[in-house]
Amino acid sequence: MAVLLWAAMAAPGGKRAITAEAFGRFLRWLSEDDELAVREYQSIRTKLVSYFIRKGCAHPDELFDETVDVVVGKIEVCAEYPPLNYCYGVAKNVWRQDVRQRKPISLDGDVVSPEHPDTGVHEHELKCLEHCMGQLALSDRDVIARYYQGEGRDKIETRKLLADGVGGVNALRIRMCRIRKDLRVCLADCIKRSAN
Amino acid sequence: MSSSLSDRGVIREYLLGRLDEQQELESKLSEGILFSDELSEMVESIEDEIIEEYLDGALDSADRKATDEYFLRPLERKNKLQFARLLREHFETNRNDVVVPPLDILPVTGSGASQYGIGVASAAGWGHHLRTYGQFAALILLFMLGVTYISGIRKRQAQLEGELVQERERSASLAREASLLQPPIIALTLVSDRSRGPGAPPHIEIKPSIQRIVVEIALPRGATGTYDVRLEANGKKAALWSATLSPLVSASGDARLMFDVPTRGIESGVYSFVVSSSQQAQRYKYYDFEALAAK
Repeated sequence: MAVLLWAAMAAPGGKRAITAEAFGRFLRWLSEDDELAVREYQSIRTKLVSYFIRKGCAHPDELFDETVDVVVGKIEVCAEYPPLNYCYGVAKNVWRQDVRQRKPISLDGDVVSPEHPDTGVHEHELKCLEHCMGQLALSDRDVIARYYQGEGRDKIETRKLLADGVGGVNALRIRMCRIRKDLRVCLADCIKRSAN
Repeated sequence: MSSSLSDRGVIREYLLGRLDEQQELESKLSEGILFSDELSEMVESIEDEIIEEYLDGALDSADRKATDEYFLRPLERKNKLQFARLLREHFETNRNDVVVPPLDILPVTGSGASQYGIGVASAAGWGHHLRTYGQFAALILLFMLGVTYISGIRKRQAQLEGELVQERERSASLAREASLLQPPIIALTLVSDRSRGPGAPPHIEIKPSIQRIVVEIALPRGATGTYDVRLEANGKKAALWSATLSPLVSASGDARLMFDVPTRGIESGVYSFVVSSSQQAQRYKYYDFEALAAK
């Protein structure tokens, strides 16, 4: 599994200079057990990529790879530190470097109401979303339907009532966040399966 | 979690890139999000909020600029925005089919379907209801099939148990018949007498069904005349049985005594056939055997 992970990282076209041996040492630092090491790697990856996204980086995956490259280069030094803490410390420096090199960008087109280049694709996305709504638990479907119900003042009132029913405004926000996440994952999977 | 870290306003500023100059606070928040799933989830919900307000056009100019230039830089955030737009379109499309209940209807609970949930029917909702009823009907059918199947198995089990009892009775009966059909005799051949030296005497198992022992005692070649034979229990002089017998002589001159004795009175233990020639009455030969009376 570790070999597959390294091979995926060193895919053709990439700029990685990391060797399999070096990556192996990195994984050993994460854990002596192969499976745990890979799991730890994926956990660190998820967290640091999210960090780079939150810091407004356009290419969070590349910045994560850069972070790993730096850590691997200093593996003898970092051995005594907890992996996530050390990797985060390096990630901060990588981010600062990215900020210095960052050029201002403007959003492509009108993101709020873009014209879909392919109406067929768009229709398919809506169908997939319909399917994913059906996969939600009844209570979640109920919540999201009520959340988007109405317009203007009615919408605000409905959401207030909804929040009272689920334990408060913050609880409603968290609940909606989870439901949207489930739908996004389902939608991506549905679209991918259709493409295959 | 410290109060400043969980302040939604502070997190919002962080997400819009306005805390980058406040390194200590920014650093604490970044670390907090990294190591706390609870804080991470709150951050995600605020991201969703920013996106919703962006689509609503509810952001002020400064927030909108920060969203355009910082928040929406990563592709992941663009994808989130696209998804939010798709979701809105889905509900706007279905809005005409939505049955809007009064606002004072039962609030949503944390689990389970609510009447409101069923009341908010869309075109897709009716299909969902049919599916639910269909699933319920299928469940009832499955339950009834299961009960019928289990009932059938139990009946079969009872039948098999009855057959097993009958079979056992039949087997016992056959065993009794078989014991009755067995010949009630057992053979005992005695070749050497006690004078030939120590050795384990031959033994026979006397089952309850055995009534007679057919005995064959080998005699010296050319033996003639009659022989007195008596059966004694080892160490006891009283004869259990006695007879005067003539030997059987084969064409080759081999002689043997053949006779049968009743098993009545023979229990487990060592016994001897005491054989003496009528011509040499004082010369006795002891042919030992061991009887095992089976219960």
